[in-house]
Amino acid sequence: MMSMVRSEFRKVTTTKVLLWLTIAAIAFSALNVVLLVFLTPRAMDIDPELNLLLDPAYVTNILGAAGSSSIFILILGIIGMTSEYRHMTITSTFLATPKRPRVLIAKGITYAILGAALGLIAFITSLAVTLIALMSDEHAPVDIVTALQILGGVVLAFAIYAFVGVSVGALIRNQVAAIVGALVWVLIVEALLTVFVDWIGKWLPGGALNAVLQTTNVTGRGGEDILPTAIGVVVLLGYAVLLGLLASLITLRRDIT
Amino acid sequence: MSPKGEVLTVTSLTKRFGKVSAVQDLSFTVQPGRVTGFLGPNGSGKTTTLRCLLGLVQPTSGRAQVGGHDYRELPHPAAIVGAALEASGFHPGRTARGHLRVITDAAALPAARADEVLALVGLTEAAGRKVGGFSLGMRQRLALAAALVGDPGVLILDEPANGLDPEGIAWLRNFLRARAEEGRTVLVSSHVLSEVQQTVDDVVIISKGRLVQTGSLDELTSAGLIQVRVRTPNLDVLRAALVAEAGSTSVNIFDVSPDEVLVSGLSAPEIGNLALSKQVELHELTPVGTDLEALFLELTAGGNPGGAA
Repeated sequence: MMSMVRSEFRKVTTTKVLLWLTIAAIAFSALNVVLLVFLTPRAMDIDPELNLLLDPAYVTNILGAAGSSSIFILILGIIGMTSEYRHMTITSTFLATPKRPRVLIAKGITYAILGAALGLIAFITSLAVTLIALMSDEHAPVDIVTALQILGGVVLAFAIYAFVGVSVGALIRNQVAAIVGALVWVLIVEALLTVFVDWIGKWLPGGALNAVLQTTNVTGRGGEDILPTAIGVVVLLGYAVLLGLLASLITLRRDIT
Repeated sequence: MSPKGEVLTVTSLTKRFGKVSAVQDLSFTVQPGRVTGFLGPNGSGKTTTLRCLLGLVQPTSGRAQVGGHDYRELPHPAAIVGAALEASGFHPGRTARGHLRVITDAAALPAARADEVLALVGLTEAAGRKVGGFSLGMRQRLALAAALVGDPGVLILDEPANGLDPEGIAWLRNFLRARAEEGRTVLVSSHVLSEVQQTVDDVVIISKGRLVQTGSLDELTSAGLIQVRVRTPNLDVLRAALVAEAGSTSVNIFDVSPDEVLVSGLSAPEIGNLALSKQVELHELTPVGTDLEALFLELTAGGNPGGAA
């Protein structure tokens, strides 16, 4: 399994996809920090009493913007699997490792590690941009303990989410269909379900992701409508494993022609 | 000491895609130490058969095994079987060396093997270039390098001569011959008989997913399926000698022009030998690949010798 994971790392480091998605994740995290620092508090300028930058909780939670780049992590996992089918490199992959579920496991491990690394990068980006953006303003201090919790949440959430992406890609082998399907699910289907069916939202992948990130949105932390973090980890990991098992039973065993 | 070849066994192999039968009740064996040509027109089921052998396609029924085992059960497949299936299985953004390193990693082979096989197929100069910019011939060489990376005893190559220049084809011929002489199993598919007939010892010919003919190339030659083009200014003398020779075997002579004939039933060396003994001057002596399409028409018309019912 070690050699297969090494091979998967080689695959991802010999192409450009990881670089582009890392840049996208950094840019998106930074953008969200900038929006949180400059737009939301300024909207409150009408009432100086409401300057959110003086609220320690608000200031610390700006770091949660790291989690906003989660969609790129999902896409990274999806591309990691589907590009094998797209470029037909799946042939040499399965020739080297004919027991196909092992390929899926190796990819899951590899992309979980990559996801964790990107979570760390996104967090560092958020922290750096937050500190720079706040320099010119009077603001409350960043709470270290909460910041570390956010870091842990982002690293864990991105690790599992990348694995979810791999499983989605294994189930939907067409790269465009898998990415579009995932975007439609995350941005439309899940959003609508969450709005119209009260109890269901927190159990969906996005809800579980938020539970691991410990955030309902980038400005709020925790609350009634998300699962406890530990349960969130189990549910999100459950989706990754379930989709991977489905793929093993249905698409992964299909003929490679 | 090179790795030993394995016997490839295809037993009553049938593969249907939906309602289409790609391969039907196909049986043959491929022996180590010989180069075996796997021949048939495009769409005859060659690639499907090879993919069944390699565990990429699940047979509908029957078996396709390497050394008595399913490919998926092989403990260390890259060291036993090397396969080059098509020129399209590359990530265009990856370099030639990167492509091979992915495989050496996955198969737990020394990283140095990547550069060794690149040198072997003559791609050292292009090792650091992206495969997206490769010509078809270079892709074929890279696919061959990938097949060789585990130094396997069995080589399975699907149309390896496609896109190679004449020099490359000559090189490939010698290369495959040398592998077979080391005792390895070499199975090469082609839809052009002339492309392989100078290389192969044995042939397996299929059409529409069924076996048409299997045996050694010599048997095929004596069955009149391969012709030799002969040009000579002394055609009458040679013809007389050929007819005399025809007493023992079935030799056919087709007139092409006043100084040129197509001979079937005798190999080029046999005709050359005959010409020498009669002191006939030869201007050309070329084995002509009977066009496979024509060969199949001939075989079908002739009652499908040796084929499946």
